[in-house]
Amino acid sequence: MIRPLALMLALAMAPLPALAHKVVGGAYADGALIEGEIGFSNGDMAADALVEVFDPAGTRLGGTRTDGDGIFTYRPTAAVAHVFRADLGAGHVAEFTMSAEEVAAILDSPAARAAAETGQAAAPTEADGAAGMAGNPSTFPLGPGPAATAAAAPGLSDADKAAIAKIVRDEMRPLRREIAAYREQNDLQSILGGIGYIAGLFGFGFYIAARRRLKA
Amino acid sequence: MHIVDGALAAPVVIGGAVLAAGGVARGLRDLTLEKTPAAGILSASFFVASLIHVPIGPSSVHLILNGLAGLVLGWAAFPALFVGLLLQAVFFGFGGLTVLGVNTLNIALPAVIVHYLCRRGLARGTPRIAALWAGMGGALAIALTALCVGLALALSGEAFLPAARLVFLAHIPVMAVEGLLTAAAVYLAAQVKPDLFTTVQGPQR
Repeated sequence: MIRPLALMLALAMAPLPALAHKVVGGAYADGALIEGEIGFSNGDMAADALVEVFDPAGTRLGGTRTDGDGIFTYRPTAAVAHVFRADLGAGHVAEFTMSAEEVAAILDSPAARAAAETGQAAAPTEADGAAGMAGNPSTFPLGPGPAATAAAAPGLSDADKAAIAKIVRDEMRPLRREIAAYREQNDLQSILGGIGYIAGLFGFGFYIAARRRLKA
Repeated sequence: MHIVDGALAAPVVIGGAVLAAGGVARGLRDLTLEKTPAAGILSASFFVASLIHVPIGPSSVHLILNGLAGLVLGWAAFPALFVGLLLQAVFFGFGGLTVLGVNTLNIALPAVIVHYLCRRGLARGTPRIAALWAGMGGALAIALTALCVGLALALSGEAFLPAARLVFLAHIPVMAVEGLLTAAAVYLAAQVKPDLFTTVQGPQR
């Protein structure tokens, strides 16, 4: 009697701020860089958080910080799986992995090679960043856009390509975030499914207990 | 309330898993035929109630209903809450599979403690007195859970006082709401089904 009541109460309150408050994060290729973001599933981003990068064996590869929007960039140097880890305090830890194949694809991409070349030829600061990895600043100079852009618009200068790549990235960011939020959503089906599992499990337990009692 | 994967040191995770396994085994022995349906429904209540997260500061809070589960189920609260936590971890990624033991311990142990502290008050008093005990039990279970979470974080290297204070402060509103909810539920039960706290318990141990 009371338990259905409690359940009904809980269900009635469900549409209120029904936000799972867990840590979400992800990393994806971004030209020659790995770009990632870290935040809470209620939409708050983790601003200025230290992100440490490890290889699968636990050796520290480097570190970077998120900017005000919870976004960080990291330039990979070795084609091993990269494990990104950020401790946001109070038991909130974000940890996600980018597989070795993905990292190798980034290192192998035309953008990365072009970045290294143009960096050496034109911009000494970028060459420093590519070679020295000094601190891996979170606002890394943007590499030129992917090869597809270059092929489609051969008349564009490197600066134009970089600007276009940046615009596309900025336009994509809200979409990515939306998808991440959507993935974290608790839909009614999973909730009902969970309740179904519980009913089944305890029903099974009930059956076992009843059989044991009948035998005795 | 749910500690996530990777936040705790390995010894804490292993210790929590061992203790939780012991609790679940003890609870399964206690899970009699009469108690099983109640355990199932309380497990489902816990599963749903924990989905309502209200963000407070850097953490988040939600109803737990472990006090109510403990008052009705005693040791059997261990398997009931374990099942709820397991499904939350699998379906929604709350907590995680490796920290399941610690989370079970943090939530189910206070339930059992509250059961032993309050069962006398529940069994013999009038509905009003029973509700009073239940309210205290519901609030106390949350306080103990907050303490356990703080302790688990402290054992993993975080400074105990700031961590525990943060968790504890965030749960003061939950303590109030849970106390009221548990009291209301027990008041109702004591009036319409007073044997819930006596016959369902089986022989007094």
